[in-house]
Amino acid sequence: MADTGTLPYKASPVSPLAPDRRYLARKFHGRFMAGLITVAALVGVSVLWLILGYVIVRGAPAINLDFFTQRPLPYGEVGGGIAPSITGTLLILAVAALIGVPVGLGCGIYLAEYGRGSVVEVIRFCSDLVAGVPSIVVGVFVWALLVRHVVGNFSGIAGAVSLAIIMIPIIVRTVEAVLLLVPYTLREAALALGVPKWRVVISVVLPSAKAGIITGLVLAIARAGGETAPLLLTTLGNQFFSWNLLEPIGAIPIQLYNYAVAPYPDWHTKAWGAALVLISVIGVLSTLARVATWGQSR
Amino acid sequence: MNTNQAATTSRRSLFARLSATVTGAALLAACGGDAEPAKAPAAPPIAAKAEPTKAPAAVPTTSAAAAPTTAPAPASSGAVAITGAFDGEAKTLTGAGATFPAALYSKYFNEYNKLTKVEVNYQSIGSGGGIKAISDQTADFGATDSPMTDAQLKEAKGGEILHIPMALGAVVATYNIPGLETTKLRFTGETLAGIFLGTITKWNDPKIAADNAGVKLPTEDIVSVHRSDGSGTSFVFTDYLSSVSAEWKAKVGASTTVNWPGGVGGKGNEGVAGEVKQTPFSIGYVELIYAVQNKLGVGLIKNKVGQFVEPNLAGVTAAATAAAGKVAPDLRVSIVDQDGATTYPISSFTWILAYKQMTDAAKATALTRLLWWGTHEAQKFNGDLGYAPLPAEIVSKGEAMIKSITGAGKPAFPGK
Repeated sequence: MADTGTLPYKASPVSPLAPDRRYLARKFHGRFMAGLITVAALVGVSVLWLILGYVIVRGAPAINLDFFTQRPLPYGEVGGGIAPSITGTLLILAVAALIGVPVGLGCGIYLAEYGRGSVVEVIRFCSDLVAGVPSIVVGVFVWALLVRHVVGNFSGIAGAVSLAIIMIPIIVRTVEAVLLLVPYTLREAALALGVPKWRVVISVVLPSAKAGIITGLVLAIARAGGETAPLLLTTLGNQFFSWNLLEPIGAIPIQLYNYAVAPYPDWHTKAWGAALVLISVIGVLSTLARVATWGQSR
Repeated sequence: MNTNQAATTSRRSLFARLSATVTGAALLAACGGDAEPAKAPAAPPIAAKAEPTKAPAAVPTTSAAAAPTTAPAPASSGAVAITGAFDGEAKTLTGAGATFPAALYSKYFNEYNKLTKVEVNYQSIGSGGGIKAISDQTADFGATDSPMTDAQLKEAKGGEILHIPMALGAVVATYNIPGLETTKLRFTGETLAGIFLGTITKWNDPKIAADNAGVKLPTEDIVSVHRSDGSGTSFVFTDYLSSVSAEWKAKVGASTTVNWPGGVGGKGNEGVAGEVKQTPFSIGYVELIYAVQNKLGVGLIKNKVGQFVEPNLAGVTAAATAAAGKVAPDLRVSIVDQDGATTYPISSFTWILAYKQMTDAAKATALTRLLWWGTHEAQKFNGDLGYAPLPAEIVSKGEAMIKSITGAGKPAFPGK
């Protein structure tokens, strides 16, 4: 015990504060990985800009007043536009949102605020399953149910229903996630004031999560707006203007497809133009949603 | 109280903004609607020698494009001609089916809209889809390049279906052989069957060489390209191969969805044309117009009397004329491999499918008028778009069919 001649460790020949080789290696390693992540981020963003840029470059020559006001011309003729498809897409999306938003919103609120136990798990699981169903399968289902039986012919309402089915699970999961982010203390405070639960949900929880909810709705509408496969099977497409939901209605993705597979260069340009319009419509919807939530908390 | 008020205000603003968004979308939609065009701009059709569009004075259009209006209607229809709108007819019709006549029908229906204001929406979803749509009554009419089978006719929900011929087309053998771009190769039915069966594998096979004396054929392997989707074009092509090759008939047969012994697939006429264009030493089959538009090599085919015939509209018309005398009363007829020195052997009708007894009288009237116009006045558009006009015998048989269509129990065609 009194032996102080040996130390319990071997002293380092250099100061522990001095940079050693391992420190340099770690520093290099850290910089290197940060660089990789930055590159990944740049690639991720540049893909968006590449797509957008390419669509603008290829599609811009097709854009003129006629493109937005005229209906498509016969095969091989130069000119005409996609106006019936634009109005058709907006109409179908509006009807799909009318069906899908209340259902999705209600389901999301139920999961976040009311659901208890295994019921929640079952609903959540089913919702995820629906989200995972390929859109073409949704199209076939709606075709078999609405086109062949309930409505009896290709129709805009069938397309709206299939888009609503695609929208609902997206809305459910985003709404649930966003509502769960609202601090529970807010609900407790409201409940402590004697506010009934339904009132808490409507007046406290939903307004707090407004921005997130609207973002989720726009995401769902944007996703549905680009769907082609279910529309081909349900609304069929229409080169004339149609406002009758019980008849075939045009849609931008269908028109894009028709233009893209045709053997005429002018139609290929129009397909790019239609792609540009489709992106713009969705961009405008997103911007509207952003403006609607401008300056709001969260 | 305060909390409540604030919350209520906040809630209101949420709904106000939501509804503002919806209103915005509706406004956008409405703007599009206001801009609904009554006119179609003057666009040159594919061929330069297009006639000026006939636009009778009965139908005023706002378009300056439709101004030249004096071309008389073809006289083949006799006294009956569709000259304008008709009271009591439906203003919209929906059709779906074959891709092959889609170019023609889009031209027809655009002109018909100018003439009568009836909007005929035609979507090319394939012959199989057209047969399904008319059987299920999900569209007002169907369109197909391969006649419905008896079994398919029995399955139709709405009773008897009529096949009304609208035009004639040719399926061509198209190939891509580097060095022989400008040479027109000659094929017999047997060599084509051999190529697609896989029994002829090299371009310099003696069977091909025998028909192409003086052509330096390459030693490369043949890549055969076929349709991967259900297709009227496939039906016409395999129908031809079945009628000239016993081996083909026994091993493969005629069908819209063929069980191909080998080769690569392409979706639609477009897909096959594209595949042939990109693959050296390949051969495929497409509708004539696609080979012309894609500037692909087109083979001469040996017909029944031993002549090698280039695919063109005269050869197709000759096939229809040769077959006209012996067509079945229901006009479901194959016109491949017909007699005649100038007959192109891989020819086909393309039909519109309609119910004989329609329940909706207004739609029946609109459809019969459309079909009448399509089989008479509209035939003048066929040539420019790569389709042959119908021979007179077939037109008159079609007339009888159109007149036999009833709407809600009464004859549907008003005779004008």
